[in-house]
Amino acid sequence: MNKKIKSLSRKIVLLIAIVTLSSVLLIFNLFEKINKEAFYNIEMEKAKLVLSTIEPLIAVNIYLNLNDRIDQVTKQLITNPNILSIKVIQENKIINERKSEEFENNIDDSFIVENDIFQPNSQKKIGTLILTYSNKNYKELINTYTTLLIKVLFLFGIVFLLFSLYVKKLLSPLRKIAKLLQGYSPDKNIIIPFDNQNNEIGFISNALNNMQHSIAQYAKQQQNINKFLEEKVDEKTLELRKQLYTNALTGLPNRRSLLRDINNNDKGALLIINIDDFKEINDFFGQAAGDSVLISFSKKLSNMIIKKDNVTLTHLSGDEFALFFIKKPSKDEFIQFTTNLLANVEKMIFRHENNELTLRVTIGGSFRVQEALEKADIALKSAKKKGKDFLLYDETLNVEQQYKNNMEWTKKINWAIENDRIHAFFQPIFDNKTNKLVSSECLIRLIDSDNNIITPYHFLTIAKKSKLYSKLTKIMIQKSCQYFEHLDCDFSINLSVEDVLNKEITEYISYSINKYNVSKKIVFELLETEGIENYEEVSSFINEMKSLGCRIAIDDFGSGYSNFEYLLQLNIDYIKIDGSLIKNLDIDKNAQIVVETIVSFAKKLNIIVIAEYVHNEAIYKKVKELNIDRSQGFFLAEPQDNITLNS
Amino acid sequence: MKKIFFLYLTLINIAFGYNYDDLVLKAQASIFPKIILLDKKIEDKLIDGKIIYTIIYDKTDHHTALSIEEFINKNFQGNLDKYQYKINLVSFENFSYKTEASAIYVLNLKKHIEQIATIATIAKRKGIISFSYDINNLSKGLMFSLVIEKSTVLYLEKENLYTKKIDFVDALLQMVRFIDKDYATQEEILYYNKLDKKKLYASIRHSVFSNHKE
Repeated sequence: MNKKIKSLSRKIVLLIAIVTLSSVLLIFNLFEKINKEAFYNIEMEKAKLVLSTIEPLIAVNIYLNLNDRIDQVTKQLITNPNILSIKVIQENKIINERKSEEFENNIDDSFIVENDIFQPNSQKKIGTLILTYSNKNYKELINTYTTLLIKVLFLFGIVFLLFSLYVKKLLSPLRKIAKLLQGYSPDKNIIIPFDNQNNEIGFISNALNNMQHSIAQYAKQQQNINKFLEEKVDEKTLELRKQLYTNALTGLPNRRSLLRDINNNDKGALLIINIDDFKEINDFFGQAAGDSVLISFSKKLSNMIIKKDNVTLTHLSGDEFALFFIKKPSKDEFIQFTTNLLANVEKMIFRHENNELTLRVTIGGSFRVQEALEKADIALKSAKKKGKDFLLYDETLNVEQQYKNNMEWTKKINWAIENDRIHAFFQPIFDNKTNKLVSSECLIRLIDSDNNIITPYHFLTIAKKSKLYSKLTKIMIQKSCQYFEHLDCDFSINLSVEDVLNKEITEYISYSINKYNVSKKIVFELLETEGIENYEEVSSFINEMKSLGCRIAIDDFGSGYSNFEYLLQLNIDYIKIDGSLIKNLDIDKNAQIVVETIVSFAKKLNIIVIAEYVHNEAIYKKVKELNIDRSQGFFLAEPQDNITLNS
Repeated sequence: MKKIFFLYLTLINIAFGYNYDDLVLKAQASIFPKIILLDKKIEDKLIDGKIIYTIIYDKTDHHTALSIEEFINKNFQGNLDKYQYKINLVSFENFSYKTEASAIYVLNLKKHIEQIATIATIAKRKGIISFSYDINNLSKGLMFSLVIEKSTVLYLEKENLYTKKIDFVDALLQMVRFIDKDYATQEEILYYNKLDKKKLYASIRHSVFSNHKE
């Protein structure tokens, strides 16, 4: 409000002055230039006129050789104060020259005109006439003009000054009106003067006075309306507040209400009740039936806790309710309440048209109020997963830490993919008869930011959950194929059933095999159990790869219930006996029997048998003794980022 | 040779004829032929494509006329600008309307002064320019004369200009001094009264300057 007021009158006058003065100066400059040129031309013309006047006379005198007459003419001419000198030249000789007394003073800026002298009554040139004409008149004209210009401008300035003062006086009422209006409010009545003036100021004053009256009336009306609206707003606010914390279907407090209760409570316990397969009721009987069941269920739950002052029922979402214990009961009471609840729910019967419906619920509970909703939800999900009807959140499980851990690993995997820190390591497989390296298993490794080599045990499960697994598989395929492109050595890559079922991966495998020309060297290791569970898909993949010239191995053979019939049909090339059978092979008689059976079976089918997890000499000797074809393990060679052939 | 010629002339003149001013004769011989060319209607006055400059003289002045002819020929070498000229010497008794002439130059005829008016009338009728050695003859109808005062002065009898057959360049008319019959009459009276010539000229000059100022 302390903004400096700028004078409108000053602005108007200044603007007019600038525009007018600019125009005037422009016009004056133009005129000055034109006039100067005109003055110059006038004086020049005068000089030329003098010259052309005397030229015939001089011509006759030259013609008649009357030089004394020429002298008389020039003498008479030089009496003219504007003529500074006259020169008559005949045949390049000055035959007559006269100079005035002022000649030396004015020669610099004077006009010099030259005229040819022609013989009278002929066009024959007989001489030249040069006249120096004074610029005195020209300078006087210019000076007079400039003085006049300055006077006009000065006069103009005074007129403008008066004009600006007049405009300022005319507009001064506006400033006064503005000052009066600064303190205006609808409940004040300001008397604005000048309303008796018969001009725009008077009109404005009148209009403002009328406006004040209208505003005052309008303000009164507005005050009434505002009062009414405020009451309405209060009502609506209460209604909205209620809606904000209430579920529209059941009329129960909602999630927001529950969170508020939890936050306002130091001690308490929470149960989340989820109706199992409620979607089926909606799908089968329709949305209206579902809503009806939910309303009935909420009422029944309300009835159940009606006698308990310290328990509030909340409708969290469609098929999810919560019971919050404001006063924490004992753990036994809490569990007992839940058990009774489950039993009562099972007894509940809901009617829809002629149908009788029953519900089953799963309950997750948190016995602590801190993050109670999240913990009860985790317990609920865990119960669903485990097929239990109730689970209480176990603080010792530290599930949050696991979640956090998973997120960190997901971040690490992403970083490793983006920064090319996923590497292929190679563990040699040796022929037990020749003791020579015959193949290598390609194993994935993640090199973290501290250059630690991380084994897949830490990140592969998380990668599968976070949908990064297929990217890792692709990297392994690409890097392994590229590494063995120019090496004369077989190599094997582990594939999960997810990889086999992923069309994008199988296409990428085909593309990479062709690109690096490794179809004769590559062996795909598939898990025995997965192969059986997804027999059709796996069989199709094996056939496709075999058609390209690739070989297939069954990994971890003997870890499950090995189905020899299926294996026979899958047309495999290698069996890798599971490490659990090998690790105590030297002392475990049962393991020896199983391995012997596998080897015997494989030999009959011309399948090469590989023992993995060969971690000491005793095992190695036993493996050889049992006639296993190839060995792999830390005793022989650890996984490395490169392999040395002939080792 | 020149000196001998003019000495001869002087002697002859002393013996028989009028005593001419040698300087005036030369000046007139130099300027009068040129004045012919200042007539814009010179083409009308050519005879067989030539300018015929006829010198009219008294028989006693024959030698003077010859010497003028010789001077002109020497000066102009047979051509006046782009025109050829011919000098025709005619004694006043033989001068008639039939005498060929583009312009005439009349020497002193004081002994036969009454003939000058006749010559002037013929010249007017022929529409040719007439020059006179003696300024007093302008009152008889001749057109131009030349006098050497402080400077060379050309006199023109202005009444003689009123002929459609002669049209001088304007500049010539600006530089000449006009004279009218009245002054000539006055001069004539003075002449007959044998007044001093210098006084006569002074009187004429006074009249001319007064006239000029008007």
